[in-house]
Amino acid sequence: MKLELGVNREFSEPLLELKHVTKYYHGAAPALEDINFSVAEGEFISVIGPSGAGKSTLLRCINRMIEATSGEISFDGVLISKLKKRDLRKLRTRIGMIFQHYNLVDKLSVIENVLHGRLGYKSTLAGVMGRYSPEEKLQAMRIIDLLGLHDQVYKRCDQLSGGQKQRVGIARALIQDPKLILCDEPIASLDPNSAKIIMDHLRDVSAQMGITVIVNLHQVSVALKYSDRIIGVNQGKIVFDGSPSALTAEKIAEIYGSESNDLMVELGERYAI
Amino acid sequence: MKKIEEAILPVKPLTRESLTMWILLLVLSLLTIYALAAIDYTSVDMGKAMADTLNNFKTIFFHPAAHRLSLWDAFYEVLITMGLAFLTTLFGGVIAMLLGLLAAQNLAPKQVTNIIKGFVAFIRAVPSILWVLIFAVAAGLGSVAAVIGLTFHSVSYLTKAYSESFEELDRSVIEALMASGANWWQIIFQAVIPSSVSSLLSWTFMRFEINFANAVAMGAAAGAAGIGFDLFMDSGFYFDLREIGLVTYFIIAFAIVLETISTNLKSKILIKKA
Ligand SMILES: Nc1ncnc2c1ncn2[C@@H]1O[C@H](COP(=O)(O)OP(=O)(O)O)[C@@H](O)[C@H]1O
Ligand SMILES: [Mg+2]
Repeated sequence: MKLELGVNREFSEPLLELKHVTKYYHGAAPALEDINFSVAEGEFISVIGPSGAGKSTLLRCINRMIEATSGEISFDGVLISKLKKRDLRKLRTRIGMIFQHYNLVDKLSVIENVLHGRLGYKSTLAGVMGRYSPEEKLQAMRIIDLLGLHDQVYKRCDQLSGGQKQRVGIARALIQDPKLILCDEPIASLDPNSAKIIMDHLRDVSAQMGITVIVNLHQVSVALKYSDRIIGVNQGKIVFDGSPSALTAEKIAEIYGSESNDLMVELGERYAI
Repeated sequence: MKKIEEAILPVKPLTRESLTMWILLLVLSLLTIYALAAIDYTSVDMGKAMADTLNNFKTIFFHPAAHRLSLWDAFYEVLITMGLAFLTTLFGGVIAMLLGLLAAQNLAPKQVTNIIKGFVAFIRAVPSILWVLIFAVAAGLGSVAAVIGLTFHSVSYLTKAYSESFEELDRSVIEALMASGANWWQIIFQAVIPSSVSSLLSWTFMRFEINFANAVAMGAAAGAAGIGFDLFMDSGFYFDLREIGLVTYFIIAFAIVLETISTNLKSKILIKKA
């Protein structure tokens, strides 16, 4: 399975390509330095690294929620860095994003939050009035069902558990009909059970719908279990890029630096399985 | 040991501010005593004056009656005052809605919010009545000056209230919607306003209550018609104490109703924030 993907990657045009991407905030040290990688359609990629490594920055440069200082990013054959506001909006509709803290509108119902994912496709006026077509509503219901939220459709989001909120987050991304979903630490605030449910959904999204998924993760064990490919980041640089089986203890030590001792335990679990 | 500590640490340390306060109070008391002693009472019989005043109060509050105004007239005049309050709240609300969006830290750049917040804080610092008098210079004393002046103050009050209501929605939620391709106006109407609508309505009603009280005063002080103007005429021109009583009761009745609703709304907002 993974081998096949590897073969595919060589033949098909990459969905996403980053070339020499660099990001400076205010300080002298770059948050990202000369990032290069390309992503094939349908890949499930985990980005791991210690906190402050630049994982969130990397993800946000892809949909330009953060502007990279230099470098080129192309998505689906379009050079993102050059897009004007209106075209950028159009491009963002094809990239879903989910967050550690879900970032839902708490006072609105599940279905209302899910439908928000369609706003980007609408004219300003239609969006302002909240005019959603019957097909859009039907599709929202289908996706809500798919994520096992049928009993929560009209509940306000502040009455949901963390795991349910994150599933609403996934639903909101899916209704965008995205080619790529970016996930910034989607399970960092969840208990192990809910985390597993979320990761399983993300894997299904990738395997069954063919949507490319890039997940920032804190847990190496989760990355090993779910990913086709792992990218290790340390101090703004990619220090590992390969299949989970190639991620050796030395590599993990390199990615995590001094933090790595705790992680060896997790890695031990992998070999136990 | 404990005693020593208490001696060293008095419960209320005498700071510079409290010292200033005490000196000020002392000076004011001395001045008051001096003034009372120095006033020339010769032509006024204190006892009689007191008795007359109480008598007037008795007439006002225990024998209210309509002479010039019928009950219906009084009611109609209250409605006019309500109209003044409604109009100024409406104008103020619409303008404050726009300014509130630009003053909310999660919606606008920091420089813009700072400018607007500073501007409305300045307007708020000056009482409504003063704004009416300031606008009266250009518009003449009357309803126009009253409407403009009250609107002006309402804008500043509501801009602060609205922008704080808008800020209840976390910036990260707005960023999430931006990331999905939604634009600013769509986010305002689909996420920001739905999240804050109950606060917005409560604040608006509270301002309406304030504007009602102000509108009564405007009728009297700025000749802006309504029940306040009748109060002014009855007391200043007709010396009709019994009708003053009637009008006062009318105003109190309406004010109590508005105040009750407003207090309820306020406690709801506070509960939500806690
Ligand atoms: N808005 C910002 N302004 C300035 N520095 C930032 C900002 N966001 C992140 N950084 C810095 O950039 C580096 C990478 O941060 P981030 O991408 O959040 O890392 P990660 O997600 O891997 O924890 C950190 O050193 C962080 O302090
Ligand atoms: Mg992060």
